[in-house]
Amino acid sequence: MSTPLQVYEPFKAGLPKLGKYWKSLWARRTFIAEHSKSELREQHFDTAFGQFWLVINPLLLSGVYFILIVIIGGKTDTTRYVHLTGTLFLFYLVANSLSSGVKAVTSGQRLILNTAFPRIMLPLSSVVIALFKFFPTIIVFIVIKAVVGSPFSIKMLWAIPILLITTFLALGLAITISCINVYFRDMASFLPYMTRTLLYLSPILYEASALKPELRILEYVNPLFPILDSWSRALVYGQNPELFSMLAGLVWATGIFFIGTYIFLSREREFAVRL
Amino acid sequence: MSSLSVSNAHKTHEIAVSVRDVSLTYSTTIDRRPTFKTRVKALARGKKQTRVVQALSHVDLDVEYGHVLGVIGANGAGKSSLMRCIAGILPPSQGRIEVYGSVSTLLALGVGFNPSMSGRDNVYLGGLAAGMSREEINGHFDEIASFSELGDAIDAPMRTYSSGMFARLAFSVAATVRPDILIIDEALSTGDAKFKEKSLNRVKELRSDDRALILVSHAMQTLRETCNDVVWLDKGKVISRGEPNQVIDAYQEFLQVGKSAAIDEDV
Repeated sequence: MSTPLQVYEPFKAGLPKLGKYWKSLWARRTFIAEHSKSELREQHFDTAFGQFWLVINPLLLSGVYFILIVIIGGKTDTTRYVHLTGTLFLFYLVANSLSSGVKAVTSGQRLILNTAFPRIMLPLSSVVIALFKFFPTIIVFIVIKAVVGSPFSIKMLWAIPILLITTFLALGLAITISCINVYFRDMASFLPYMTRTLLYLSPILYEASALKPELRILEYVNPLFPILDSWSRALVYGQNPELFSMLAGLVWATGIFFIGTYIFLSREREFAVRL
Repeated sequence: MSSLSVSNAHKTHEIAVSVRDVSLTYSTTIDRRPTFKTRVKALARGKKQTRVVQALSHVDLDVEYGHVLGVIGANGAGKSSLMRCIAGILPPSQGRIEVYGSVSTLLALGVGFNPSMSGRDNVYLGGLAAGMSREEINGHFDEIASFSELGDAIDAPMRTYSSGMFARLAFSVAATVRPDILIIDEALSTGDAKFKEKSLNRVKELRSDDRALILVSHAMQTLRETCNDVVWLDKGKVISRGEPNQVIDAYQEFLQVGKSAAIDEDV
């Protein structure tokens, strides 16, 4: 067997060798899965009550928001409730990726200081955790949809590519924010306000079609807007999503992922002295 | 990347690690927790936000297969920084490091462990973090469990462990990895006296012709007994390197404490 040679030299900026980096990340896939599972177990999501909380928490939130809509808007439309629940669950996939991703690097201090591994593994693991938390909510959504008599359609399968785009976006956001938090630790304190703002600027408490023309700019400036709109069209109304929305979501997700990953990979070699 | 515990065939005296003119300088924030708020404050006051740390300065070092190199020096001498550079954790700011073989680091115990999980689960977590595959851990599990002497406690959550039990399990996992080059940084002072001796014996077992060991320690007697070579670092520079007794004697003289029991004793 040939001896593997590693050479370590100074770096100014820029990316590490991507092929080698990817290979090294792939070799750690079992660790990523095990690390994510252990985090979930720490939060008791392997127990029946833990899983129950996972479902009941967004459900209660959607209930609270629905009551608000009924009181403020005076509408008791059941489709509205299905829309609210479905979009809120998908929003939580992104919000959970962000809240767990923001501290992914800073809380992995011991690992970073003592082991050489691709650091991107840490925010990646946060998104894996958020996905684990998301999947049970799909079942709850389907039950709600069936109970209120909302029709099922083959077009609901559009949810699969939309979910893939959302996961891609969540990954890009988690990678970016985990890196920013190394340099500005108060990012973790700002985050709840940021996600709350994002929630109000997204078509969750209202539907995209109900937006005033002067506010339609949100469709372009909020990465989640086209995604949540497509999700609602497919899952709630059983319609084909608009091609523009799908493309806009994909462009946002790709852009954030590549910019965030570039920043992360070009900075990660100095994380050990920043923690 | 193949598993870290894969050993390749090496001949004694082949170069395992070559460190050439390596310096490590980095800037770090003055505040322990850099925040947006402190950045803005510092900018407004025109204050410097970072300070420059020179951790290593023009270090040259070769480690050969079949050798055990001891690294000594006062706190802050740059020992851990050098080990992190060799392990690829910190990139050097100047110079070049070549590592011929797989490296495993034992810089701290229990890296990757999750205290809320059982000892058994943590064997897998720690092993995977150290670069072993699940199959390898399965194959070595009984060995790890019996070496740690934890008995039934292996299935209890690790937060219920005493610090000695924690360290024993962590060392047992780490000592199972069989890399070409093993770097141990002051991780031997674990558990009670009996376990210390046991872990030292394990390190001695790991000495072989086709492996290179680098031991960072303040335990001079251990280094005298175990190493072929000792290097003394001070303020990031190599002060001397050579026969263990000579270098250690010079270092102790430098410290002006002479051969005291306190220095020789602890592993």
